Amino acid sequence: MKHRLVWGLAFALVAGSAGLAGSANEEPAEIQLPPGPTHWKAEKPAGTAAGPVTADMLRAAATPADTWLQYGGNYRNFRHSPLKTLTPQSVAKLQVAWAFPTGTVGQFEASPVVYGGVMYVTSSYNRLFAIDAKTGELLWRYDHQNKENLRLCCGPPNRGVAIAGDSVLMGTLDAHLISFDRKTGEILWTVEVAKWNVGYSITSAPLIVGDLAIIGVAGGEYGVRGFFDAYDVKTGKLAWRHYTVPAKAGEPGAESWAGDSYLRGGSPAWTTGAYDPETDTLFWTTGNPSPDWDGDGRKGDNLFSNSLLALEPKTGNLKWHFQFTPHDVWDYDGNTQIFLVDAKYDGQPRKLIVQANRNGFYYILDRTDGKFLRATQYLEQVNWATIDASGRPVVNPESVPKEDAKFRTCPSNLGGMNGAFTGALNPDLGLVFIPSSEACQVFTKGISAFKEGLPYLGGLPETVDATAGKAYGNMAAIDVVTGQVKWRYRDRRPMMGGTLSTAGGVVISGNLEGEVLAFDAKTGKVVWRFRANGGVRSQPIAYQLDGRTYVAVPTGSFTALDSFAAGVNRVPEGGTMFVFALPK
Amino acid sequence: MRRVTLLALALALACSTTEERASAPAEPESPAAAFARDPAAVARGRSIFIGTCGAYCHSTKNVERDAPSLFDCEWKHGGSDAQIFASISNGVPNTRMPAFTGALPQGDDDLWRVVAYLRSASECKAGKR
Repeated sequence: MKHRLVWGLAFALVAGSAGLAGSANEEPAEIQLPPGPTHWKAEKPAGTAAGPVTADMLRAAATPADTWLQYGGNYRNFRHSPLKTLTPQSVAKLQVAWAFPTGTVGQFEASPVVYGGVMYVTSSYNRLFAIDAKTGELLWRYDHQNKENLRLCCGPPNRGVAIAGDSVLMGTLDAHLISFDRKTGEILWTVEVAKWNVGYSITSAPLIVGDLAIIGVAGGEYGVRGFFDAYDVKTGKLAWRHYTVPAKAGEPGAESWAGDSYLRGGSPAWTTGAYDPETDTLFWTTGNPSPDWDGDGRKGDNLFSNSLLALEPKTGNLKWHFQFTPHDVWDYDGNTQIFLVDAKYDGQPRKLIVQANRNGFYYILDRTDGKFLRATQYLEQVNWATIDASGRPVVNPESVPKEDAKFRTCPSNLGGMNGAFTGALNPDLGLVFIPSSEACQVFTKGISAFKEGLPYLGGLPETVDATAGKAYGNMAAIDVVTGQVKWRYRDRRPMMGGTLSTAGGVVISGNLEGEVLAFDAKTGKVVWRFRANGGVRSQPIAYQLDGRTYVAVPTGSFTALDSFAAGVNRVPEGGTMFVFALPK
Repeated sequence: MRRVTLLALALALACSTTEERASAPAEPESPAAAFARDPAAVARGRSIFIGTCGAYCHSTKNVERDAPSLFDCEWKHGGSDAQIFASISNGVPNTRMPAFTGALPQGDDDLWRVVAYLRSASECKAGKR
């Protein structure tokens, strides 16, 4: 950010007193001041009592109580804290322990990482803070200097860091990946993942698998060629890249695109995947084909858009795939959170992978081979399709975008569930908790032409009845195996905040009007509300230090996007971290 | 007498105005103004706006989203046809508005059609902001 002051008046006074005739009539001059500091390293190394984060720690089935090591809580993405201290009875006793401002607007979407008593959290526009997790004291800080005209479809979020060894890693909106010394904040290495000015950006948290940091790109609204990469954690050297769309005829999936439309095919990999150590399988998901709302030029299924990919983590080679929404013309990204569940299905123990997809259906697959098992509707409003026995949508032709569209299609292009926020899974209850938007839109098709770095959209979804009580939000508890909705909490606005589950039986999330909410996991009853006054778009976490239980909830929304699937939101932007604690 | 004087004064004013009009160089018509008289051109401008400028940026309604409303009376970067065309062509530095010159199938004509559509759908009326 440039620091500029208009010194016109001062200049005029000085010029006048010095007898510089005519100078006072000139335009006020803009004088550029030296840039302020953007990187504050630790005064003394922080978190030194803890050793390096090891592969075994990341492989652990349960999240250790004194840490929060990964975006998804664990490799299975449960976001389920083992803390039994957070119960429907105790949660109302939470008090603010500390708060922390980010100094930025836009959605504060991160899931903090906690390790060695230090919280690592990223804000919008890629500020990275290392904070004493008990006291809130700032230990080190890095403000990434992004370019000024970034190619962002949907605001400036970052969803958090990954931690590995003694480093923390952050992807940036200008499509770089940076590794920091977790104790000091020193930069260890930086790599350019992609060219930001052609439409790439990074908003997600990396996933660490072995010695590799895996990170994907956004850019589905710019006709980029989607991919995700694996980098050596220690050196930043690229180990492999997996493209999500083909580059030429004859490559897998090329036959599913008309002509050479795959060259502008989008299908970004903008969220964090999952890893199954037992079968050594990496799971990653992909987003919409480009252009979003006009499929005329890309007839076919458009592989591997809107898909779940199973890969070998050491090579990035594909094992199998499953496509949720072939030939998508609604922006129903397949990027929502995937959960790796071991459960009895039809009486047999199965290794399952489940997802509440943006398209309104909850999917259950066998994660060993990608076999489709079941899809059930988890939203209240779905009319774009039904799902047949093979898992393929049977599309309602009225819902397809048209130039003179009138049909109200559900869900909206934001979903349903959305990759920008998380659900959580309580394995003891067999319930997965899914926040969602319940909104519908008219999808109008229009003319778009591809040019590198420019939006490549092809249409316009518009919510037509947001103020009529028909655009709202739900938190739903879904039976993991049957897909049946056990309870729903309804909020006035779409629910676009992430989710935390606890072994004590609560679910913590928040709404866009700025309330942090806690639910009884069994019943959905709201057992605690805290008015943070910043829309909740983040992924809450819990941890315990010196016997005291903490809950961290970043707050601060991006109202332009909030208003997209609902009415205008009056709540101002601005990021603030709230950390609550149970009484000592 | 008084009526004659007023009439003479009015005639004089009218003549001078006519003379000034005749002597001033004629404003060239904006391509957008010409397209505005052609419903097919306005419809194409609308379709381009929907397919290229809408969605996560501008709304087709007079509401401000992540990008400003283009259907009220306020133009942050100049409200003449030529200025709007320039904003679309060159983009607006340090905002999310990129430069669309050369980006559309029929080049500048398509950009002028977008300007014609914006004019046709504007809710800006005299005295209203």
